[in-house]
Amino acid sequence: MERIYDMIIIGGGPGGYSAALYAARAGMDTLVLEKLSAGGQMALTEQIDNYPGFEEGIDGFTLGEKMQRGAERFGVQTELAEVLSLKLDEAVKTVETSEGTFLGKTVVLATGASPRELGVEGEKSLIGRGLNYCAACDGMFFKGKTVVLVGGGNSAAADAMILSRICEKVILVHRRDTLRATKIYHDPLMKAENVEFRWNNVVTELLAEGKVTGVRLKNVQTGEETTVPCDGIFVSVGRKPATELVKGLVELDEGGYIVADESTRTSLPGVFAVGDVRTKVLRQVVTAVADGAVASHYAEEYLATLE
Amino acid sequence: MSVIQMNTEMFRTYTTTPGKPVLVEFSAPWCVYCRRIAPALDKLAAQMVDTLPVGIINIDEEKTLAEQEQIEVVPTLILYRDGQALGSIVAPESKAQIESFIQETLAQ
Repeated sequence: MERIYDMIIIGGGPGGYSAALYAARAGMDTLVLEKLSAGGQMALTEQIDNYPGFEEGIDGFTLGEKMQRGAERFGVQTELAEVLSLKLDEAVKTVETSEGTFLGKTVVLATGASPRELGVEGEKSLIGRGLNYCAACDGMFFKGKTVVLVGGGNSAAADAMILSRICEKVILVHRRDTLRATKIYHDPLMKAENVEFRWNNVVTELLAEGKVTGVRLKNVQTGEETTVPCDGIFVSVGRKPATELVKGLVELDEGGYIVADESTRTSLPGVFAVGDVRTKVLRQVVTAVADGAVASHYAEEYLATLE
Repeated sequence: MSVIQMNTEMFRTYTTTPGKPVLVEFSAPWCVYCRRIAPALDKLAAQMVDTLPVGIINIDEEKTLAEQEQIEVVPTLILYRDGQALGSIVAPESKAQIESFIQETLAQ
C-alpha cells in the first residue's frame, strides 16, 4: 500500500518547518517538499536581528538549516522536489512533484511570497551585492551610504523612512508624480532632508562592477535618461504570493494570498496556509513560525475527526 | 560523491575528457544565492555519480578562467562536453529546473 503521510508541507521556510516540527512532535508522519533549500525568502537575508534568541543576529540561510535539522531530529522527512500539481478536495490529498507522487491526509501550504522584482536585466545576480528587497533587514549594511529606493506605495514609503535614518542619502525613484502611500507617510518623508525624489522615473539598467554602482533612469514623460551613482538599491514594488499552484483550488484574496484566518484553515478541510502566503497583517519570520504551530494544532484536530 | 571543488587545472581535465559531460557551477563565497542552490547541487551530484561529475569554481580564486568563460553573473551553471560549453543556466530556481536544463542540453 502506498504511504499516506499525516501531513505534507509544501515549502521549507520558517512556517513550513515549524509546522513540521510541531506535527512530528505530535506523532504525525510528516513530509516537507522544498524545491531548493531550507529557509525560503529568509535564506537570502544576510542577517536577521528580529528573530528572538540570537543576540548577535543570525544569517537567514543558517537559521533555515537549523529549523530543518530541528524538525528532522523528530523524524520529519524532506524531499527536494518541485510541486507540479495538487488535488486537495479529497480525504487523501495528492501532490504531484518532480520526484514523484506523494499522498497526505492534510496539506500545509507554506509556499511563501516573494518581493516583486523590478524586471531589469541582471537583477537576480546582484542580490547580496548591493541589491536588496528589505530595508528593515538590510538597511544597516548601507549606513552612511547613498541608496536608491524604487517604489511609491506604503511599504516603499516606510522603507524610505527607515533608510533615511540610516543612510546618508536616499533617492526615491517612482514612476508616477506622487506617492501612492497613505497620507501619514507623506509629511515626514517630504520633510526628511536626505530624501531626494525622482518622480516619473523608471529604472532601465542596473550598473555594477562586482557590486552595485548605480542605476540608469528614464523619465517616462520626457524620455530623458540619467545615471544615478549609488552604493545600494532597494526594491519595494510590492510582493507576489506563490499561489499559482492553488489558484481555483482554495479561496484567494484580491492580492492573490490564501484566505485563512489565525487558525490557518483554508476554504478546504484539511488544507492549511502558513507564513507569508496567508492573508495577514505582518509578514515576518516570527509570525510565520507561529502559524506553523497553529496549523499543526488544527491539523491534529482535523485528523481526529477522520478517525 | 559530492560536488568537486575545482581549480583551473582540474576544470581543464574534467571538461576535456572525451565523451564525458561535466556540470560546473561558477560561484563565489559572497554570493548568497549560491548558498541556496548548494543543497540541490549536492543531491544532484550524489544522484548522478556515475554519469555526470558536478564541479564548483570559486571565481574569486580562478579569475582568469572566469573571464575566459565569460562569467558575468554568479551562480552560472555550465554544462561542458569535449571541451565545449553546451549550454548554461543562471541562478536556477529549483533542483528540478537544474535537472531539466541538464536533460534538455544533453539531448540537443
